Amino acid sequence: MLREKIEKLLLKVQKPARYIGGESGSIVKDRENISVRFAFCFPDTYDIGMSHLGMKILYSLINEREDYWCERVFAPGLDFEELMRENDIPLYALESLDPIKDFDFVGFTMQYELSYTNVLNMLDLAGIPVLAKDRDDSLSCIVVAGGPCVCNPEPLADFFDIFILGEGEEVNLELMDLYKEMKAQGASKSAFLKAAAKIDGIYVPSLYSVSYNEDGTVQSVTALDGLNKRVKKRIIKDFDSVYYPDNFVVPFTDIVHNRASVEVLRGCIRGCRFCQAGFIYRPFREKSASNVCRQAVELCSNTGYEEMSLASLSTSDHSQIGDILTGLIPYTEKEHINLSLPSLRVDNFSKELMDEIKKVRKSGLTFAPEAGTQRLRDVINKNVTEEELMRTCTTAFKGGYTGVKLYFMMGLPTETDDDIRGITELAQRVVDLFYSLPDRPKGKGVQISISTATFVPKPFTPFEFEPQATREEIMHKQQVLMDSITSRKIKASWHDPSTSILEAVLARGDRRVGQAVYRAWRKGCKFDSWSEHFKFDMWSEAFSECGLDMAFYASRRRSFDEIMPWDHLDYYVSKEFLVRENKKAKNAETTPHCRSKCSGCGVSREIGGACFE
Amino acid sequence: MNKIRAVFAKTGRAKYISHLDLNRCMQRAFKRSGLPVWYTEGFNPHIYITFALPLSLGYESGCEIMDFNLTEEVPEERILSALNGAMPEGLRILKVYTPSTKHTDIAFAEYEIVFSGEPEAVSKSFQSFMESDRISVMKKTKRGGVKEIDLKPDTEVISLGIRNGSFTAVLRLPAGNEKNINPSLLTDEFIGQTNIGAEVESVRRTGILSSSGEDFF
Ligand code: SF4
Repeated sequence: MLREKIEKLLLKVQKPARYIGGESGSIVKDRENISVRFAFCFPDTYDIGMSHLGMKILYSLINEREDYWCERVFAPGLDFEELMRENDIPLYALESLDPIKDFDFVGFTMQYELSYTNVLNMLDLAGIPVLAKDRDDSLSCIVVAGGPCVCNPEPLADFFDIFILGEGEEVNLELMDLYKEMKAQGASKSAFLKAAAKIDGIYVPSLYSVSYNEDGTVQSVTALDGLNKRVKKRIIKDFDSVYYPDNFVVPFTDIVHNRASVEVLRGCIRGCRFCQAGFIYRPFREKSASNVCRQAVELCSNTGYEEMSLASLSTSDHSQIGDILTGLIPYTEKEHINLSLPSLRVDNFSKELMDEIKKVRKSGLTFAPEAGTQRLRDVINKNVTEEELMRTCTTAFKGGYTGVKLYFMMGLPTETDDDIRGITELAQRVVDLFYSLPDRPKGKGVQISISTATFVPKPFTPFEFEPQATREEIMHKQQVLMDSITSRKIKASWHDPSTSILEAVLARGDRRVGQAVYRAWRKGCKFDSWSEHFKFDMWSEAFSECGLDMAFYASRRRSFDEIMPWDHLDYYVSKEFLVRENKKAKNAETTPHCRSKCSGCGVSREIGGACFE
Repeated sequence: MNKIRAVFAKTGRAKYISHLDLNRCMQRAFKRSGLPVWYTEGFNPHIYITFALPLSLGYESGCEIMDFNLTEEVPEERILSALNGAMPEGLRILKVYTPSTKHTDIAFAEYEIVFSGEPEAVSKSFQSFMESDRISVMKKTKRGGVKEIDLKPDTEVISLGIRNGSFTAVLRLPAGNEKNINPSLLTDEFIGQTNIGAEVESVRRTGILSSSGEDFF
């Protein structure tokens, strides 16, 4: 019935294949035999959501259970949304084409702050009341969220019943098992939420109340009903044997990352002070080379993909990266599969690794020194020296590369105009290096592109206390950068700081920020991460209507003893460590990576033993 | 090297796979099938597949044609079962064989077009529409311009009738490299001219013919 209505409209929209499912690898089950249905929602379009690895893992994991059925849901493009609303088509799941409001769970993965309004829009499009308090108490349609943004889920607290902290492979199934059991007993939603809150990794925001000081900072967070004061994130202890899918849904349309990916490690040893992922995914764990190779081959032969990638925060930190590559390259060559290696780091980009990569691709190289001077790189603990960068570029140029893309952040703590000019100077030295090499690629010039992003301080990093640079400060820095570039071999690009400002507000917002999110959505904000849809004016209006000041959240310095809105959530990394790191940052003192020396961040205490043997 | 031709159906959810995406989809299906398919040489090798006639987005078909090469001899039944085991919902290989004709031999295609609206009324107005002396429409040229053409001499009515409560027309139109006429040119003109609330509900390609009027495969 719904399917007929959908099909009547599909030819009127762009890329209709995104809205009808049926891809190879999509899992269709018989409704009659299902006890729990899970709608896995990605709050952005199909093209972006289908590129996301976490969703693929949890989709397959849940579907391994015969009587559980997980389906995919994405935000429709504006053209289709309009038609859906006109024709009373509620948001539906791609496998069954059933409306998601009838599902047992509606789960969102929160990957970036600028997708918050899409969540509200999708709930509304589904016919589910957007505010949790407006939903009834029958045990159905539990709205949950996971993903990195829920390490500070407070701005989303009004909309969700449950947040799932940390890695989902175990806890998702535990939650579904509990639901199935309590549903059979005829329990209410509130009874279920109380029981669920006792599971490690499950945070039920309605069972925690927040009070505020007069200056607007958090006074206290109180757990109701004798629940734990702090909610711990979940991690998978035995990462090498954790479930990994042997098949993916293979989209028909071209999406951002359309390839077979194997996750080779989790966490990161580096401890770059600006990087939230580097802290919230601790500890570092890796998959054995033999497992990586077996999973990669399985995945390629089941999906038919012509591209494979090794996914992680820093793939070259895998202790057996050489074995993995030597194991995979003969297979990928024989099967005409492109091997792509994202997130390679400058400092261990060895000659050997370079040769392996060169066998498979010869396009542009990207490096992220993140800051222009060594002093500032020490502040952020990006342990890349200029010498290392130059060595890598030498290897790259000798290997035939003529283009290098350099990524930097702007607005880092302690940054001065000299640090900004340092970006150009660094790029210029890369240009000079190119022309100093007798065996550089002949007949071609070198092209260095500088890309800058506005720094956004994030929770659970040593910079969670820091103010974000204001719009005026960023504009000034951009001007300094542009003025310092004199060579035509160097090109710079940047983004409007508005989206970064909103990102900073949402990332460190408290529960009150939810009202502004709600209002902004009501005013028509959605797809905020798409510059053509982003409406900063609407957001400013929304905040002031709620009596909230964006600057309070974005550009205010917090004292070390201020209670942060997320302090009752335990991501294993201790506050003492963050403070220690913050102080070291101010003195431009670096911290060694975890493999060379443990810095006592608190994680090993939680996992009951050292992170590295 | 063994040249193979496959005839396949594209129905249900698969009718929303665009022609561009279909190529990619087939590449992956061939890879999943494990068949010894031939890759193009060069910088970016890919499985060599050629499609005879593009099918418009949203049309179903029972007679799509694609050619590919195998590097080894494989029994036809095995090719058929390996490919069907790798196809997504809605794509089904009907037969495979060694081709004796070229794609350029294709001259016509037949389409079964189902209209919504009151069937008797639609039937009547469609018949009188087809009886007009000229059916002039504007057609896009390959160079990006438009020109006026008369569809009347090129449209052959195979059958008209009411099936399952809907008016259904089966038409034969020129197809292939030389001259290709999409049935939507005709149906859009019909719907635009008559004003009886009829719409095209579905289009299905039911035949591909060579210039002699014989079945192409
Ligand atoms: S406990 Fe030590 S080794 Fe483990 S993550 Fe923290 S700093 Fe790194």
